[in-house]
Amino acid sequence: MSFFQQLRKKITNLIVFDEGKEQEGFLLVSEKENGDQERQEGKKSKQKEKKKSNKQGKADKNKQFRVKKEAFKKPVRVSKTPLSLAEQREKNKEKNMEKSMKKEPFFPEKLFVSSSLEVNKGYLEKIYSLPKNKDIILREFYIALHPPLKAFVLFIDGLAEKEIINNSILKPLMVLLDEEAKIEGSEIAEYIKEHLLPGHDVQVLEKYQQILDWVNYGGTAIFIEGCAQCLVVETKGWDKRAVGKPEVEQVIMGPHEAFNETLRSNTGLIRKALRNENLITEMVKVGSRNKIDVAIMYLEDLTNPQLIAEVKRRITSIKTDYVGVSGVLEQFIEDEPFRLSPQILTTERPDRVVSFLVEGHVTVIVDGGPQALIVPATLFSLLHSSEDYYLRMPYGNFLRILRVFALFIAILTPSIYVSIVTFHQEMIPTELLLAIAASRATVPFPTIFEVFAMEFAFELIREAGVRVPGVIGNTIGIVGALILGQAAVQAGIVSPILIIIIAITGLASFAIPNYSISFAFRGRRFIFTILAAFFGFFGISGGLFLFLLSLVNMKSFGVPFLAPISPKTKTGPDVVLRGPVWSMEERVDYLDPLERSRQPNISRGWIKNRRGGRAK
Amino acid sequence: MKKELVGHSEAAAFIIIMIGAKAFLGYPRIVTEWGLTAGWLVVLLSGLISIVFWLMIVGVLGRFPGKPLSEIAEVTLGPVLGLGINTFVFLYSIFGTSNHLRLFSEAAILTVLTETPVIILALIFVLTAWLAAYYGIEALFRSAYFSFPFLAIGVALVLLVLYPYYDFKMLLPLTGPGVWPVIKSSFWGTSAFGEVIILAYLVRYFSFKPERLKNVGVFSLSFVMMFFIAITGVYLMVLPVPASSETLVPFYQLSRSIFLGHYFQRVEAVFVIFWTFTAFISIAAGILVGAIILQDTFKLPSYRPLLPALCLLTFSLAFTPLDLIQTVKLEGEVRMSYGWIPTFVLPLLIWAAALILRKGENKTNDS
Repeated sequence: MSFFQQLRKKITNLIVFDEGKEQEGFLLVSEKENGDQERQEGKKSKQKEKKKSNKQGKADKNKQFRVKKEAFKKPVRVSKTPLSLAEQREKNKEKNMEKSMKKEPFFPEKLFVSSSLEVNKGYLEKIYSLPKNKDIILREFYIALHPPLKAFVLFIDGLAEKEIINNSILKPLMVLLDEEAKIEGSEIAEYIKEHLLPGHDVQVLEKYQQILDWVNYGGTAIFIEGCAQCLVVETKGWDKRAVGKPEVEQVIMGPHEAFNETLRSNTGLIRKALRNENLITEMVKVGSRNKIDVAIMYLEDLTNPQLIAEVKRRITSIKTDYVGVSGVLEQFIEDEPFRLSPQILTTERPDRVVSFLVEGHVTVIVDGGPQALIVPATLFSLLHSSEDYYLRMPYGNFLRILRVFALFIAILTPSIYVSIVTFHQEMIPTELLLAIAASRATVPFPTIFEVFAMEFAFELIREAGVRVPGVIGNTIGIVGALILGQAAVQAGIVSPILIIIIAITGLASFAIPNYSISFAFRGRRFIFTILAAFFGFFGISGGLFLFLLSLVNMKSFGVPFLAPISPKTKTGPDVVLRGPVWSMEERVDYLDPLERSRQPNISRGWIKNRRGGRAK
Repeated sequence: MKKELVGHSEAAAFIIIMIGAKAFLGYPRIVTEWGLTAGWLVVLLSGLISIVFWLMIVGVLGRFPGKPLSEIAEVTLGPVLGLGINTFVFLYSIFGTSNHLRLFSEAAILTVLTETPVIILALIFVLTAWLAAYYGIEALFRSAYFSFPFLAIGVALVLLVLYPYYDFKMLLPLTGPGVWPVIKSSFWGTSAFGEVIILAYLVRYFSFKPERLKNVGVFSLSFVMMFFIAITGVYLMVLPVPASSETLVPFYQLSRSIFLGHYFQRVEAVFVIFWTFTAFISIAAGILVGAIILQDTFKLPSYRPLLPALCLLTFSLAFTPLDLIQTVKLEGEVRMSYGWIPTFVLPLLIWAAALILRKGENKTNDS
């Protein structure tokens, strides 16, 4: 066959494949009926298909003509160079063509299991790029029937538990079985499922896409000769982190369990703490490439159905190829992506999730991430900590008051310092003013530069402390904070009082329990400092006004961010301060839960004073 | 477009801040000039008269449930006269806002930013007000409600820590210049409470029932009256009559007088945050209310496109007076003396016309 004939044939096949969605050696069926018919044909169908495609290609003269035309538009010159070079070029072209053919789109979602084991094997080799893909295991064996039935199992090494595969799949089918079963066709899959496989979760599937979803998530697929169905067995068994202690939301009183990276462990932790049959866990897949599982959890008899529908609507509408962790999903579903404040509460504590679920919130957990998202969130919920509730009311309130002060210190301290030193020196008592003036006498920079330099150094230390390995991180923090600060003062770059200001501000920002809102406040601190440098307290006042405006204008899943204070809605005694647990009789109004009441007016049945209050 | 709605608490806080903002400008000085040692009495009587006026205005609103005063004016007096009255009220609103803009800018220069050009401060006020008004009525009312306790605590703190200087003898004689001058001044003094009429123009933005509007107005007026009485009383007790009529920014002067030992003195700058915050809300609210009146008058679908023009108008009008003294005179001799005409008399005229023409008695007449 001449080169031109080979080229023409290749191009013709290429065009036919492209338009007919068929490929050499593989069966691609869009309709189930077609699939059934072709499954009967088994191995022969492959050859027939090949012929059929060639016939179709030949029959379509116009197309062929067009192809020919295309092929001859730019005729390949017959080179007068030595033959070896020309051959080399041809070989390269052929290789490229083969590569392009291999890259032709393949649609497993339209594919059905064939009754031919070889065809199925061919599909899987194509889908998983076997044998190039080394962690995909395709193990062929014979089911110990009379006569023996050829089959193979498919699983991913590292995701599936090999012990389960050996003991609960291969052993029963290969060794323990000794029956003269006369079962044919699709019945064999059902028979094996019901009689031979002891796995707790075994399903019979026909669509390739469903099978792939199982295998990609640690399942094992069993293909059997002559059966147009596939058995899938739940064999998840990858290495995972055990349930550990919370890293960010540590408490002294209360549980010390935190989520890990496995979705089922996380949902299990929540179910363990909330033993209620009305707790619903809906699963949604997000990301066209990683198809990550996203769990939406809520209490069906309590949560507002509109809120649930809105959460589902936002998540299911996401069209992207990859969503790795909850932080990425958060950015896809939040109301105001350009605002500094977060509008979704992120937690690593199952007990915190449960406390919000029983209030009527919805929780979203992304597989692979150790955090849960709670929606909607308000400013006050972001400033609360789970320990506020685990401690007695006075202690909890003490912590909350401390946190309110910390909030204002974290936002305003550097800006107030800049204002006073730059514009309002009269506020400072004379002795203190002299001390500050003396300490600043050796500093050659303006106050705003000093503040920004130290703020930047502090943020740098914080970031470095987080990024470097654990033991060194602490050392970096100490070295950075103490030695650098001391050296900066001695070098006359900053004044000693500024070290105190920055240290207090840093401590206050760490006292804010939510990591995201802490970031938001730290960012605002810089804005306030700039405003103070230009306009003193007047600038701070204007900044506060704009800050407040932005907060009142924000919403989280339809709930105003400053609810229940602004707008004022009905709520229990748990906003800034909290009342005794027995006085929290109603749930928050802004969620509009299906049941407002949490407990009767007299929740402590043992007290004699029916009007509540102290027991007699 | 989403319907903006505000509750009764937010409405009350908003009105209190709108009226109360005057306390940080020259109001205590003006009532002291009018009533001398009985300045607090002038405030009390003005407040009571305003409450009576408000109850009469609620009568007008009751005849036209759910309709704003601008629409009632057109229904009652016809489109031409109604348009004229609404335009007059709008101009008064913008005039008041621009005067406040200038006064607050000048006050900031007098107190804390002595080197800053007044135009820069006015520009900051106007741009912030533009943004706030653009966020909408919900955001502004909610901001007012959220900040209200902080502002109230700030003011109360100033008044309380001045207790070493309280001299009750400074309030004598109780009737000041005499009964009749006090009553006459009290009538003029109702202008200070005129912002309560905003409730009548924003009826359609309230989520509560129209019947509650009366309570909201009465509560706001009563609260702000007590607040004014407290400030004026303390002002008179701390700064006796001759000195009290010479201060341009009385509240700042009060906060400057604080001396509670070596480490709690000269803290007036801290309280600048409170009164400038009130100024930001007040100016933004003035522009927003002006835009809403104009929107209702000309039946426009949205008020937001009007905001840039109104901001520019307010800014330009603010610099029409040559200097601070002229602005203070304008505030005292025009706005505080005759402000009751557009705020109280016009609505009552509309009421009278509605009674005479029998408008608003039933639905057929409304149309």
